[in-house]
Amino acid sequence: MDETKELLIKCFSAVFPQLRTEDIPQATPESVKGWDSVATVTLLAMLEQEFSIEVDFTAVEEFGSFPSILAYIQRQKGASAVSREFAKPLRVPGNSE
Amino acid sequence: MKLLDALEILREPPPPSALPFRIGLACGFNPLHFETLVRAEMRLSMPDRRIEIDIGPYGDFWGNLARLEDLEKQGLDSAVVLIEWPDVDLRLGMRHVGTWTLAALAEIVEHGNTFATKLKSAVERLSVPVIIVAPTLPMPPIWFTPGWQASTFELEIRTTLAGAIAQLAQRPNIRILNADRLDRLSPPSNRFDAEWELLAGFPYKQSHAAVLAEMLTLLIQRPLPKKGLITDLDGTLWRGILGDDGIDNISWDLDHRSHIHALYQQMLHALSEQGVLIGVASKNDPALVEEIFQRRDLILPRTAIFPVEAHWQAKSDSVARILKTWHIAAEAVVFVDDSRLELAEVSSAHPGIHCIQFPSKADSVVQVLHEIRDLFAKGFTSEEDRLRLESIRRSPAALDSLNRGEGDIDHFLELAEAELLITFNKESVDARAFELINKTNQFNLNGARHTESSWHSYLRRSDTVFLLAAYKDKYGPLGKIAVVAGRHADKKLVIDIWVMSCRAFARRIEHKCLEELFARYAAEEIEFNYAPTDRNGPLTEFLAFLLGAAPRPGCCLSRDQFEARSPRTFHRVLEAVNG
Repeated sequence: MDETKELLIKCFSAVFPQLRTEDIPQATPESVKGWDSVATVTLLAMLEQEFSIEVDFTAVEEFGSFPSILAYIQRQKGASAVSREFAKPLRVPGNSE
Repeated sequence: MKLLDALEILREPPPPSALPFRIGLACGFNPLHFETLVRAEMRLSMPDRRIEIDIGPYGDFWGNLARLEDLEKQGLDSAVVLIEWPDVDLRLGMRHVGTWTLAALAEIVEHGNTFATKLKSAVERLSVPVIIVAPTLPMPPIWFTPGWQASTFELEIRTTLAGAIAQLAQRPNIRILNADRLDRLSPPSNRFDAEWELLAGFPYKQSHAAVLAEMLTLLIQRPLPKKGLITDLDGTLWRGILGDDGIDNISWDLDHRSHIHALYQQMLHALSEQGVLIGVASKNDPALVEEIFQRRDLILPRTAIFPVEAHWQAKSDSVARILKTWHIAAEAVVFVDDSRLELAEVSSAHPGIHCIQFPSKADSVVQVLHEIRDLFAKGFTSEEDRLRLESIRRSPAALDSLNRGEGDIDHFLELAEAELLITFNKESVDARAFELINKTNQFNLNGARHTESSWHSYLRRSDTVFLLAAYKDKYGPLGKIAVVAGRHADKKLVIDIWVMSCRAFARRIEHKCLEELFARYAAEEIEFNYAPTDRNGPLTEFLAFLLGAAPRPGCCLSRDQFEARSPRTFHRVLEAVNG
């Protein structure tokens, strides 16, 4: 299992302690008792902290299931990896670091 | 603490027998996961309690503050009043749009005055411990002055609020979160989260919420202060090696670039003034040590230090002797030395001791000074703090050996001119009595600790009896040293709490207290809510002697038994009229 999915399962497990680990990858608000707006907000806060991402609050509607949240995080992490790559200083031939 | 850690801590249920610890939180914003963080921090701090936090509706600061009064009637352990600028005036927040005109600014300042007056009168009505947090977030750019210039409006509103809070801080049940420490731990520029404020009415960045939760927990459940500090000399109290460099080449000043040692001496002097015991453990020539302590430029005077262990033996042996002289456990003591090796040696012989390495760099010394201050910090200082060192220094050396049966203890005590000042008045709540209950280990009936509110509720019960004893003899005063509390029905007393300072051992004060209780309540029997602890050996031995058998929970002592076994006492007893 990749690290992102593993950590996301841990987050779900903390927010929904009654949820069995094997059921988490299929979790949706309909299937999980207690997945209300407060739980969504708690999840959001935790994702920002655990994955070092900034959640775009206009995209909250994407947070409708475990798979969709996982996909969102993977996209965000991919995007931040690309921007980190662009942020590296350019190597100028002849210049030593 | 991160939110994930907090939720994992809270997954573990408290023990089934856990008593609730109720906190009322009054704020105007939506506390969301801040509440989770506070609960988790409190759980770590009080693992045997079930933490309950009562939160009112969003946006109703005054309603939530008023609710604290109702909650107090139902049994509240602590109240937290967390103010942010929109509570003073909604225009000082981001979720409400109004006018930021010049006329509005004067009105906002006026609202600040009203807010301060109302806050003061609402909080003054509470008697439980109250924690107040002044606004932690920046104001919006509402004033017409540039951001780098303080506006007179802003200064006025800040001063008004600070004035009201400073007045509240005078009350014994009110503690104010230290803004200076908050600034160090949570930089002001990284506190406000506009996204979260607009999405959910929660204005804090997570790192800020975590720091606030941690500080609030320390304010609610104040850690017990340490009682004594043992310091090394060379490289710690001063720069230089006394034996090698000679007395004249030892320094603690700016000229010799050794000012950090002067700062350290200054701190130890301040601690000794507030009743902290200061001892020395140094591998040194004792004659040289005594000689340098005659230097007039020492900031820590020789009289503030007792005892001085200066010789070439292991430091752990010195520490053991100092602990014995002080009658306190290693857990209550801090040991400071510049040598990691010495720290390791002492720490391995005395596992509970708090060791600090004295650093060589000024920045690190400042950190250490903050750490030391925190370890010994108290909400108040008492007469007993002032008496502590003197009473240990004057403690008659013969007392210990006499009590081991080596001599005539009766004769010694008879000539001691002992006086016991006793109060049975439970109405005037005594801070020293509460302190004794929560810090005494050796002569302690059962090790039970109280929160301020549980202690006050216990005293308020109509059947509660209370005894507080202060002692003095010809060797000097010890101050208030013993507390007994229990319940009285017919001819029976049930003792729930009994603590006595270890400085008062061997003077038969415990016998006299029982004698007074039997007499005052015409009791035929006293039942002890006894429980063995890791540390209450002295009390266990005392009860075992009177009972003629090892004490058990709920053991009873009859008046006849007591009179037959109790040795003679020689105290003159005075009863305080008004406590």
